[in-house]
Amino acid sequence: MPSSSSTNEAPDQVLVEGHLFVRKIVLNRPMQLNALSNYMISRLLELFIGYEEDPDVKLIILKGNGRAFCAGGDVAAVACDSEGNWRLGAKYFWKEYTLNYIMATYSKPQVSIINGIVMGGGAGASIHGRFRVVTENTVFAMPETALGLYPDVGASYYLSRLPGFFGEYLGLTGTRLDGAEMLTCGLATHFVDSMKLPLLEEALCKINCYDFSNISLIIENHADQPKLKEKSSYHRLDVINRCFSHRTVEEILSALEQESAKKNDDWISAAIQSLNKASPTSLKISLRLIREGRLQGVGQCLVCDYRMTCHAIRGEINRDFFEGNRAILVDKDKNPKWKPSSLDQVSDSMVDRFFSRIDDEDWEDLKLPPRSNLPALAIAKL
Amino acid sequence: MASQYDRVSFRTQVLTRHLRSPSPSPPPALPDSLSSSPCLSYSPPELSEPPFVFDTKLMRSLLDGHNIQDRDWLFNLMMQSNLFNPRKLGHRTFVSPDHNQSMEQERAMTMKRIEYLLDRGVYKGWITGNGAEAELRKLALNEVISLYDHSLAIKLGVHFSLWGGAIQFFGTKRHHEKWLQITEEYGIKGCFAMTELGHGSNVRGIETITTYDSTSREFVICTPCESAQKYWIGGAANHATHTIVFSQLNINGKNQGVHAFIAQIRDADGNICPNIRIADCGHKIGLNGVDNGRIWFDNVRIPRENLLNSVADVSPDGQYLSVISDPDQRFAAFLAPLTFGRITIAVCAVYSSKVGLATAIRYSLSRRAFSLAANEPEILLLDYPSHQHRLLPLLAKTYAMSFAGNYLKSIYVQRTPEMNKTIHVVSSAFKATLTWHNMRTLQECREACGGQGLKTENLVGHFKSEYDVQSTFEGDNNVLMQQVSKALLAEYVAAKKQKKSFKGLWLEHMNGSSPVIPSQLTSSNLRCSSIQADIFCLRERDLLEHFVSEISAHQKQGRSKEYASVMNYQLAEDLGRAFADKAILLTFIETEAKVSNGPLKNVLGLLRSLYALTILEEDASFLRYGYLSRENAASVRQEVSEPGSSGQSSDLFSHSAVTSASLRLFVILPWGIVATVHHPRRLLRQTLLKLSLSLQPLLHLPAAAQPPLPSSSVTPLVTRRLISSVSSAFKATFTGHNFEDASGMS
Repeated sequence: MPSSSSTNEAPDQVLVEGHLFVRKIVLNRPMQLNALSNYMISRLLELFIGYEEDPDVKLIILKGNGRAFCAGGDVAAVACDSEGNWRLGAKYFWKEYTLNYIMATYSKPQVSIINGIVMGGGAGASIHGRFRVVTENTVFAMPETALGLYPDVGASYYLSRLPGFFGEYLGLTGTRLDGAEMLTCGLATHFVDSMKLPLLEEALCKINCYDFSNISLIIENHADQPKLKEKSSYHRLDVINRCFSHRTVEEILSALEQESAKKNDDWISAAIQSLNKASPTSLKISLRLIREGRLQGVGQCLVCDYRMTCHAIRGEINRDFFEGNRAILVDKDKNPKWKPSSLDQVSDSMVDRFFSRIDDEDWEDLKLPPRSNLPALAIAKL
Repeated sequence: MASQYDRVSFRTQVLTRHLRSPSPSPPPALPDSLSSSPCLSYSPPELSEPPFVFDTKLMRSLLDGHNIQDRDWLFNLMMQSNLFNPRKLGHRTFVSPDHNQSMEQERAMTMKRIEYLLDRGVYKGWITGNGAEAELRKLALNEVISLYDHSLAIKLGVHFSLWGGAIQFFGTKRHHEKWLQITEEYGIKGCFAMTELGHGSNVRGIETITTYDSTSREFVICTPCESAQKYWIGGAANHATHTIVFSQLNINGKNQGVHAFIAQIRDADGNICPNIRIADCGHKIGLNGVDNGRIWFDNVRIPRENLLNSVADVSPDGQYLSVISDPDQRFAAFLAPLTFGRITIAVCAVYSSKVGLATAIRYSLSRRAFSLAANEPEILLLDYPSHQHRLLPLLAKTYAMSFAGNYLKSIYVQRTPEMNKTIHVVSSAFKATLTWHNMRTLQECREACGGQGLKTENLVGHFKSEYDVQSTFEGDNNVLMQQVSKALLAEYVAAKKQKKSFKGLWLEHMNGSSPVIPSQLTSSNLRCSSIQADIFCLRERDLLEHFVSEISAHQKQGRSKEYASVMNYQLAEDLGRAFADKAILLTFIETEAKVSNGPLKNVLGLLRSLYALTILEEDASFLRYGYLSRENAASVRQEVSEPGSSGQSSDLFSHSAVTSASLRLFVILPWGIVATVHHPRRLLRQTLLKLSLSLQPLLHLPAAAQPPLPSSSVTPLVTRRLISSVSSAFKATFTGHNFEDASGMS
């Protein structure tokens, strides 16, 4: 399976524990916060496809080793690959989005135990699944706009389905959420104290049929009702709705500035700051993605993501992806020089181009595997 | 509680019976195999129909025409607020007003929705914005709003287009500065008092009188008699604080004709102002979210500056001043804001037809009725040629009228003073034609949905009463169509008198010689756009010449032109229709020409032909005046009833096989519409979706019998899962949660 130039490919990056009817998959690359390497994606894909056919598998548990569940795709490696040949990067994303799609339409329950950092690609590998268990250690974010990217991995599907305009807020600002906030907004299905996780896993491993409500019951028996912290921005959903419902990023920003003039709230100034630091192009693309996501199925969202990602790593429209990668991940000067550098310079036609097919003979749209038993409602998890 | 569980288990047993099929009677099939009964096998047509042959996104952008992202943004805004009653079903959100509310509740909800959208910046630039871009945005958002709720759109239309438009068009700088910004921010709420109990379409006949008092420099508005009370004034009954008053202006004993004034009718707290009397028009057959009222003015005094003085003014000492000396022209200038209203009515009518058709066609793709022989599956409604014939011509017309609506909007936003006449004639013709079409379509769709069409939440039937008013307000349809034929008559007379060629209103074809229609119409030339256009032009040309000669014959006998056209109402109606049909066809051809070759263009060609031939078949004037021979009329009928088939067959099955290619084409068309409409409500929501869709995952597992588990082991498993699922589905119904929540899965 491993096929690209990325290094450190070792079979132990993904561990599998078999129990009677349960498979526990452990992401095991703790030094890199379990960032998904090319190998890991291929391996997960292989496992998920295999387990769907296997009548002995009734439940899949996905967790991470160390202090992260998964901090995302291995962007630095992909950027490095893509700099030479964007098609290598495209292959990576093709596989990653296919994996997201399979998880989103999976006929068997997937329980993701998110006991730590979950960001970007890590969210894509968990939120689409049926059960998302979070703990007091969980930190969630979709930080792509600061990297010159946009919330991909089908995030436009689940972000757009959060209450009100909370998804726009998360996707544009990259705000971090804790476990309690994830549970409240619906990104997580259960909150379990990390001390109780071993017990929960043990109970889950005894499962012998894929009865969703039974699994739900088992997790519920271990779950707690966490308290939303006082400063959580979720308490201010009314303000978020008022600001992030506007049609353009410029209007959102000015609405936020008006709000902060009225009342100086930390989270508002933090949001403004993040928006000012993020790539202007990324912001505009992200907003449009999330907006369109509302009216699309998860498959369509991923097809869109793939188009956009290919444009980003191809670097013809702009090179913010490489610049963000340089400034945040490689040189770590945290001072990216976006081009165009301000929102008003990003024209609608430029955004349109990101949504268009790539003008290249060999390129094709993401072809998702047919899901023969796909019931009408199988795609809705949130 | 116990009885609830009884009911649940009863239903479970009923449903289980459908699955097990142990019945001794018809199927001698495999004893233990699971076959789902057709009554449980509902699946949305998306899953069972073949993929679309054309790009639905492209089709949508063709139909919507402009501001697609703005439209989606507004759909999103609505889905996100409880004010719009979102109901989540699976991954879709369904929004629709609650029509089970009282009139008072509906009015209050409409106002709350207006405020919500105001906070989100939806109306930004609706009045203060300039140019085509701002107007197109406003038009697009208005279409989206009307799709959600006609009341909401009309209530906004009264405030922005009628009140705001009147100030824009009739007011001058002082009015603009004072009123436009505050109107856009809803600092005041405006209405538009034109219609009176005694005078509607005939605005010049209104009886309200305004005089000028030069000592106090005020106008005095008076309702002199009961028939002069303002009637049907949207917004007047509850909310409006200000109104435009249309009134005769009497200066020094001389009547200067109809003028428009601004008057305050309520204070900021909602108390009615002195010398104003207001009554409620009461409950209506539809549009109950709009508070229509009646207003009397008992010598209400307003400052001199409140005369909207773009065409005429009164000096402080009471002299009447006007740049336009002809009172006829002065009056015509006052009707400008109604044009915008007519345009929005016409385009919104098309969107309402789309909702009806999308619903009815989807329904006919899932509902089956009667089998042709014993033990055979029942036939999908849309597989019956008769059912196709009921819905698909309406579908083609709706497409055609979409393009016509887009054309109308485009000439409106690019208007110049010279185009006013064209815009007036085209908007009148389209408003009448499109709204009539809408009512007819909704009725047919309601019937095509059977009993399901009667449920309010399925919208089709309810829309009939919500949209009925369209044929009356902003100009009665019949009156508008008469104006169209009168305008054509005037064009003709002017062209002949001045020996000029025809220009505009697509009358250029009158300059050449009369087109010749082939005596034998074959399938291929019936589908040729130029021949279709020729036949339509021929009809218009001949009817116009006919009309002209009838009128002049009357005039030679010494009768007035008005008398003559009243007497020739039948010809006038035929002519108006001929003009509208031709204009719609030509805009269709124009739209089609802009599309590059490919599947999309092919579908458009098919629709255009279906549109043209349907008109040929339906309108008696083609046969009455002999534009079509009997033989040709027969070929038209043949072509309409069997599009795409060359062979004849009497057998229904092989017939449907023959037409299946063309049927497929038609079948996918509604998705073009659905993609446009994005109106998530569909038929069968309660009855089938809630039950069988939520059962779908279970039915699908075993029913997809490709490499299944041994069937013996499936049955108990499925039954059990079915039971638990059904009961949780019921729990969901009882507790009001959606299915997934209640089943404890998320």
